[in-house]
Amino acid sequence: MPAEQTDEQLLKMALDGDEEAFTALYRRRQGPVFRFALHMSGSPQVAEEVTQEVFLFLLQRGADFDPERGALGAYLFGVARNYVRRAMEKSYTEANTTSSAEEDDSRLVTDFDPVRDIAKSQLSVAVWKAVMSLPEHYREVVVLCDLQEQTYADAAQALGCALGTVRSRLHRAHEMLMKKLKNTAPSLIGFTGNAARCLS
Amino acid sequence: MTCREFMDAAEALTPSQLLRMRAAQDQPLAAHVGECGSCREWVESHSVLENALHALSVSTAELEAGPKVEQRLLQAFRKQEFGPQVMELPQKAAKSLWTLSRFFEVGAYAAVAAALVVGVFLGARILRDQQHKTDHAQAQAVRAPQSERVVLPRQSEATKTMALIPETASTGGAASSPAAKRGASQVRNSESYSGENEDYVALMLCDPLICSGEEQVIRMELPAAAAGRDGTQTVLADVVVGDDGVVRRMRIVN
Repeated sequence: MPAEQTDEQLLKMALDGDEEAFTALYRRRQGPVFRFALHMSGSPQVAEEVTQEVFLFLLQRGADFDPERGALGAYLFGVARNYVRRAMEKSYTEANTTSSAEEDDSRLVTDFDPVRDIAKSQLSVAVWKAVMSLPEHYREVVVLCDLQEQTYADAAQALGCALGTVRSRLHRAHEMLMKKLKNTAPSLIGFTGNAARCLS
Repeated sequence: MTCREFMDAAEALTPSQLLRMRAAQDQPLAAHVGECGSCREWVESHSVLENALHALSVSTAELEAGPKVEQRLLQAFRKQEFGPQVMELPQKAAKSLWTLSRFFEVGAYAAVAAALVVGVFLGARILRDQQHKTDHAQAQAVRAPQSERVVLPRQSEATKTMALIPETASTGGAASSPAAKRGASQVRNSESYSGENEDYVALMLCDPLICSGEEQVIRMELPAAAAGRDGTQTVLADVVVGDDGVVRRMRIVN
């Protein structure tokens, strides 16, 4: 029965004390939340902690969710984003390291490589590293729109910004990724930049 | 279309959408991609990037949180009290509101009682002050002939009539100046004054409409000549002055 329910219905039932509904909702939504946190932080431990915090938050404050303002999935991404930020700030404070956050936000890039054993693709590894080195607000849109395949509207709701902002950030993020890949793996991306442009 | 216009328009589209449009060959963007080698390279390289991102997404699509996370969440779920918590909130809120309303009710009663006490106190004080003023005014009126500055009661009609009697020639030799003559003639007329205004000499022909205001008695020193007497000494006189500043009557004290 819970599989046929919408996210909003499952949430309401869970908040009324239905454990089965809560379990179904968790199993349906924990994967995207975990992967979002993983792509943002680069750490499976942080991603698990964030996933747990997100669903604990949903248990305690789930009544505040307003279905009219967007889908539950986007709401969970927004909550996860805040917890990832907290984890990153905490990690940054503990590491007490300095970095230029605008161009190379590699504060939480760890040795974890999720595609190392799965994709076996040099391009995927290069893209993964390039994504992880993006500044946070560009990485967010790439993770949501490209890796999580969310719509621009859902990404805008999760990030709390306008749809046009998501679009322009994604465009800028792709340009930055291309620039990074051109430097690290030009033969893989097939971009030479030699052709003249007619900018007049 | 220039490359700048193409880049502005391409911002709203994904590279795969651009490639699909290029295949259709019926869009300005696709036409530009077909004409411009740089933009075509840009689209193709972004398409490669998009494919790589998609591959990355697919490769990580199976990653999930461990089973321990679910177990911890279920433990937290079982510890959480759902029903009573929902019911308690309105009750607690109602109790708090009732306590708050009682507090304001008692406060309002106290404020009204305090206002009544202050009102009674101020009323009593105002009444006492008014009584005191009335008594003081009556006492001053009684002492008016002897006081330095006293408000006199209004002139009676009889007094006014007498003040309008013109002076006669029989008293003209008693004074050396015109003012003294007039004063002397009015001394005679003042004989018929009432007891309170006895010895006062009217100094002006007063219109009843003008002279109907309050009057004050001012004791002052006057040159003896001004009082119709010989010598350079001064004499004490009670001068009755109206509220318009004009002298009505006077009398010599010594």
